[in-house]
Amino acid sequence: MSQRKRSKGSGFSQGEEEDDDYIPSQTQTQALSQGPRNLERHSQEQVDQKVSELVQFLLVKDQKKIPIKRSDILKKVIGEYKDVYSEIVNRAGRTLQQVFGLQLVEIDTKHHVYILISTLPRTEGDNLRQDDQTAKLGLLTVILSFIFMKGNSAKDGAVWEFLRRLRVHPGERHEIFGDVKKLVMEEFVRQKYLEISPIPLTDPVEFKFQWGPRATKETSKKEMLHFVAKIQGKDPSFWTSQFKEVEGP
Amino acid sequence: MSEAGGSGDFSSPRSSGSDCSRPSLPSTSRNGAVSEHKQQRLSGGLGRPRPPASEDEEEEEEPEVAWGRPRRPESAEATGGGDERSRRMIRNQYRELIYSVQQNREDMLNSKSNKLTEALEEANKLFSGVSCAREAALDAQFLVLASNLGKEKANELHSEMTAFDSPAYAEDLLTFMGLNRIEVEEKDSDNEGISGGYLPSNAWHKLGSEAEKYFRRAPSFHYMLGSFKADPPVPRQRIERQKKTTGREEKRAMPAQLKKMEESHQEATEKEVERILGFLQTHFKNDPDAPISFFDLVIDPNSFARTVENIFHVSFIIRDGFARLKLDEDKLPVIEPAKDDEGNEDDRSAQVRNQAVISLSHQEWKEIVETFEITEPVIGPPCNSNEDEMEIA
Repeated sequence: MSQRKRSKGSGFSQGEEEDDDYIPSQTQTQALSQGPRNLERHSQEQVDQKVSELVQFLLVKDQKKIPIKRSDILKKVIGEYKDVYSEIVNRAGRTLQQVFGLQLVEIDTKHHVYILISTLPRTEGDNLRQDDQTAKLGLLTVILSFIFMKGNSAKDGAVWEFLRRLRVHPGERHEIFGDVKKLVMEEFVRQKYLEISPIPLTDPVEFKFQWGPRATKETSKKEMLHFVAKIQGKDPSFWTSQFKEVEGP
Repeated sequence: MSEAGGSGDFSSPRSSGSDCSRPSLPSTSRNGAVSEHKQQRLSGGLGRPRPPASEDEEEEEEPEVAWGRPRRPESAEATGGGDERSRRMIRNQYRELIYSVQQNREDMLNSKSNKLTEALEEANKLFSGVSCAREAALDAQFLVLASNLGKEKANELHSEMTAFDSPAYAEDLLTFMGLNRIEVEEKDSDNEGISGGYLPSNAWHKLGSEAEKYFRRAPSFHYMLGSFKADPPVPRQRIERQKKTTGREEKRAMPAQLKKMEESHQEATEKEVERILGFLQTHFKNDPDAPISFFDLVIDPNSFARTVENIFHVSFIIRDGFARLKLDEDKLPVIEPAKDDEGNEDDRSAQVRNQAVISLSHQEWKEIVETFEITEPVIGPPCNSNEDEMEIA
């Protein structure tokens, strides 16, 4: 184990044994004995460089809010530095936190998929830019709050009927959102904001809308309840069961 | 047509005293007695064109069902006649009813609304006019829909969730987004769920800005001064590769062709030179002492370019010593072939080699053509390499 890391990295080299199949030190020893394909030792500057590259990579990849796969990270950034993957990722995470106030979160531990979320508290006048992303977030919030208030799951028919009241129709081109159906059923799903699954034994097939893992990380049921409360000008405790659910033990 | 026996049993649970001697129409999702009816009905009805015989059918009174669908007894004769048109109307009305129930599910589910009951009552009314299987099937379809809704409503009552009034939520959202409610006339029932009014174009942005406060979204990272976009290079590479590949192919083809081409180029030049030389020699054979006027030889009155080419070719002849250029008595340049003995023996050393630069402008060329009255080129164009075509001026 010791030969894997230089002094700086030794702290977390052994601690986190993520389920990496290709990282364990066995590969290191094997590599040494077999005549390594990858560098046996990476200079500190090289590792630093890789950390910076990974930080940039994550920031850019996050622009579209599509979760980042570990396989992409390995392929595009880590490359030959696979053996120090954990160190690079951890240091990148620290940089993101300390410099940008962002947290690298793994939303799928099985397939190793990451997103970036902000750790800074929101303040007034935080984001003055209002663009398409803002409008889409509005739509998303409507859907998420609806799903939550309906008991954490809603049928697609109910969702679309609700949206119809807000003049959003799945069949029509929306002035701002364009192909709304595509936005909701494809983009939001790909971004992991929503999870849409077919309900078995329905014909024609009906879908169930639920929160996706990104939604769970970026916001919370409590936040959504407060959002609804604000919109409706009521106290969150007005909806007793939802209130209980979010404030619960 | 009246199968009194079967229907008689069925009439007993009915509350109101209606005429129940007739067979009832089959309906869905009631208790098991339905099937019996269905059988009777089907056996009676199939394969026979259903005359709009009003006396045949009558509405059925179902047993009380959980949600208390009231049944108004009505004689079938009132809505009888049963011609195709009215039947179609009934079907349409059923379909409209079904559609409106589907579209306004949320409204129906709302515990505060009686809409479901109203819909059932309307279906009840419609049913009184039903006389045939088709309409009855629609009625059945509607009842399935209504019963599903009823079940959901019941579920909502039992669930822990406090009833969430989504229409009210929608209204509040619209208000927040800045809906400008104007006076709007009552729209028909289809648009029940939609408020009238004008929604400003930044409505969703406004909502999104508020929503952002409830999210911990990482801001999109963009370089302030922009950056090189990743996309354009890719097509360029592709184009380059394509060019390269085609280039390579060309090159591969080139060598095979090049030889030919270069040969032909060289050949062309050499051929030309040889041609002219041959022509000169022929001429001098015929007429040994008559030098040819240089201008007469090279000038092509039709093409300045070809004139220059001709001069170019002639210069080779002179360089190689096969001909000589000199000025005659009139100080005009003439060409005469070099005599053999002079050329070979002394090699180069004896020859006085002079270099001359001849310049010829377009204007001068024109003047020469005019002055010397050259009407036809002496040296024919290269593609017609037949010497026959050359004319001797």
